[in-house]
Amino acid sequence: MSYRIPMGPYHPALEEPYKLNLICDGERVRDAELRIGFNFRGIEYLAERRNFVQVIALMERVCGICSNVHTLSVCQALERLAEIEPPPRALYIRVIIAELERLHSHVLWAGIAGKVMGFKTMFMTCFLLREKVMEALEKISGNRVNYAMNRVGGVNRDIAQPDSVLAVVDFLEREVNRVIIPVFASNRTLLQRCAGVGVLTQEQAKAYGVVGPVARASGVPQDIRRAAPYAAYSDMKFEVPVHTSGDVRARLVVRALETLESCRILRQALKNLPAGDWWGPTEEVEVPQGTGISRVEGPRGEVLYSVTADGENDTPRRVKVRTPTYANMPAIRLMLKGARLADAPLIQASIDPCYSCTDR
Amino acid sequence: MSDISTIPTELGVAEEWQLLNGSLWLAPESLDIRGMATTMLARGARFITITAMQLPEDEATRLDYHWDLNGELLTFTSKTADKVVPSICDLCPAADWIEREIHEYFTVDFEGHEYEPLLVREGEPVGVLVPEEDA
Repeated sequence: MSYRIPMGPYHPALEEPYKLNLICDGERVRDAELRIGFNFRGIEYLAERRNFVQVIALMERVCGICSNVHTLSVCQALERLAEIEPPPRALYIRVIIAELERLHSHVLWAGIAGKVMGFKTMFMTCFLLREKVMEALEKISGNRVNYAMNRVGGVNRDIAQPDSVLAVVDFLEREVNRVIIPVFASNRTLLQRCAGVGVLTQEQAKAYGVVGPVARASGVPQDIRRAAPYAAYSDMKFEVPVHTSGDVRARLVVRALETLESCRILRQALKNLPAGDWWGPTEEVEVPQGTGISRVEGPRGEVLYSVTADGENDTPRRVKVRTPTYANMPAIRLMLKGARLADAPLIQASIDPCYSCTDR
Repeated sequence: MSDISTIPTELGVAEEWQLLNGSLWLAPESLDIRGMATTMLARGARFITITAMQLPEDEATRLDYHWDLNGELLTFTSKTADKVVPSICDLCPAADWIEREIHEYFTVDFEGHEYEPLLVREGEPVGVLVPEEDA
């Protein structure tokens, strides 16, 4: 006999709202219906009523985890429209902040995954590690959530002491290798909980256009930092970890390996930080008529911004945001089909969803 | 690397690709939207999203279809005056939420794709981003 279980809008494991109706046969999920919009704030509507400087601050509020990704994307779109190239030091600082953000996001998610699986020591360990990254971001920007680092044509703050950030990178890399990787790669309890659970095949991943670690865990090797480099990524050497099993474990392992690649990128960017200015143009930037598009590889995958200006007003005609969770979330339905009911919270959490980003 | 230069011919349009502000653009007078989707999917392109925008001059709605082909961002532009365009959802499941959201923002109907609420609640009015004077 089939029955329907409403899950949400308060998620059993995560702190943001969305709703799932699970249609079950016994303990197995036969199908699922997703409902979003509980965090809808009309940010794209608001953006059409703010000037270009205010839009940067507004877009930083799309997400509380990957806030930097949004300001970077919108600034790049405006720079393309206004034909401005930021100075090399600013491009390196953008890479450093973007990778610190990826690090804290991935380590946070590793902790949440541990918590969802009842592995609370892992949760505490990961949040301790993440705190080191948060402290580094706070020292650079003065902020822990909205760093306000990006401006059109440059960045708002310098990184005057790269060595202090390097020390954090060394510590984090050592601890990820010592704790997170061995647990995710070989812990028996964890493997039983994750291996073969919530599978998304490569074919499904392509059809649903999923992005970021979710795509890479299903054997789709796409990464905007490599495929269409921005900021200073073309100067960086790094690998794009890919797994083919498409299950929760693959998503765990891909993110864990990506933290090591972030450390590798950070080390290169911090050691080779070019001299010179970082602030870019000091006069008000004129944004001509047209549409500028920017893509950035956020912690959860590709973010796309399309910004249209009419060349007459200092407010955009349109700001379109396509966030990674928006692309990834519909695939949850496929991951859930045939899964055990008890695995549903973990499967949902395994895409590292951001509902604020999705709803905007 | 897929050669994109033949895509305009395949779609039967005279316009050429234009590299502008972060994307390659193809903005024909008239775009066969389903033909575009079929062509892009056959080349292994990844559908990213659609940017919709209400145009002030002729009150048409502009739809920019964004695709990724081997890291290259390709954008096809189409305009609709009557706010009815064919859906590509059956060809490309990734378009499902995107088309539903555009209906809620701009009241565009996607033929062949039955509307189901996405961001707004059941029974609430759509047209969230339609300028107030046009709503």
